[in-house]
Amino acid sequence: MTIKIHVPAPLRACCEDASELMLSAPSVRAALEQLERSHPSLYRSICDETGTVRRHVNLFVNTSHVRDREGLDTPLVPGDVIMILPAISGG
Amino acid sequence: MPDRVILCIGTKKGLFVAEAQKTRRSFALRGPFGSGVAVYAALIDTRGTPRLYASSCNAFFGMKVLRSTDLGKEFKETKSAPAFAKEDGRALANIWSLEAGDRKNDLWCGVEPASLFRSSDGGDSWEMVPGISNHAHARKWQPGNGGLCMHTILRDGDRVHLGISTGGHYLSEDGGTTFTASNHGVGAGFAPDPYPEFGQCVHKIARHKDAPGRLYMQNHGGWAEWDGPGGPRPDIGVLRSDDYGRTWRSISKGLPSDFGFPIVVHPQDPETVYVLPLEPTTRTCPGGAPAVWRSEDGGGSWRRLARGLPKKESFFTVQRDAMDMDELKSPALYFGTTTGQLWIGRDDGEEWSCLFDSLPPIHCVKVAVV
Repeated sequence: MTIKIHVPAPLRACCEDASELMLSAPSVRAALEQLERSHPSLYRSICDETGTVRRHVNLFVNTSHVRDREGLDTPLVPGDVIMILPAISGG
Repeated sequence: MPDRVILCIGTKKGLFVAEAQKTRRSFALRGPFGSGVAVYAALIDTRGTPRLYASSCNAFFGMKVLRSTDLGKEFKETKSAPAFAKEDGRALANIWSLEAGDRKNDLWCGVEPASLFRSSDGGDSWEMVPGISNHAHARKWQPGNGGLCMHTILRDGDRVHLGISTGGHYLSEDGGTTFTASNHGVGAGFAPDPYPEFGQCVHKIARHKDAPGRLYMQNHGGWAEWDGPGGPRPDIGVLRSDDYGRTWRSISKGLPSDFGFPIVVHPQDPETVYVLPLEPTTRTCPGGAPAVWRSEDGGGSWRRLARGLPKKESFFTVQRDAMDMDELKSPALYFGTTTGQLWIGRDDGEEWSCLFDSLPPIHCVKVAVV
């Protein structure tokens, strides 16, 4: 079950400048667990030490925010794209 | 021979590095590094080939540690930042202090929520110090306005002093294995007990490296008008210890306010100490006229140093780590403001001028001669 993770520009230094990562995972949570093993620095930029997705990071599966689906348990199907997007905030 | 003065300026929008010849006539600015991301802590490690470190508090993607091996021409992230164990339940919110350890690559790091980490490889990996991070008091400390931060790490052999806001002063005499709250004489204006065992809002602690028994503290003062239970608590803001921090006494008399954030000791004279008093309610310069105050007798008396600083209509704040002093023969003081100005006080603070007047809000200023 191959899915794609789109990596935003500020985080590409965590994965050898890759803009996309391909992996196989049945859910968003499983995808993050794989990232924790394969790209710990990228994972740590998405989730804090408790495993919680950082407050100003949004995860989308295709066009749906995971909070509007089943959170980290949102299932994935082949061809899905997980997008990591920083929230619009700051000053 | 040292021939350059290096300034690290941590701001809301990244780290700036300024460099000057020993004459300090003009400083060249470079940066921002870690662009757009707040920097609350910096370290100029002068042991061997100098290294510059800075925290980078990314609101989106978490904490990073930046490192430069070429005096701040280029910075790279270290391989990791301090992190709590997953089962700990705490998550790193900020890095507030970076200090050099004993060996070349040893670093100490104070973080928010208040905890201590150590690295033995120049910041690539970190280990939590349980003696303070899991201290019986740790889950009882409360965050101050700036967060629950460990902002001061002072070391003298096996003696380690920590400053925590709001937790107070903690002392280890076994190299950091165990810590004891050591706040006798340190007041708290915001607690029913004016002198609790711990929980004080310590803003900064400083000392001269060759006089380790003498410590100075800028505590959270400004409680002279308090009319609640326990009555007024004047002069609890600026303190001194002569017994390695076991007991503290006020040296606030003569200052326009005992509230402030930074406190700095002269590099050649342990009796000379500097504070920057602020009005306790606004945390801005008294009367809109900023001044550094210097004592040359260990806090017995104070003198106002303001020549060259604005005389009116100036309402900035200087944060706890935003004042430092170089170690040249006639040392200069430096402070950065929340309005983005970087000031230099040449000749021991006698004559002030603005080096940079439109930086982002400044959180920390560190200086070294390399």
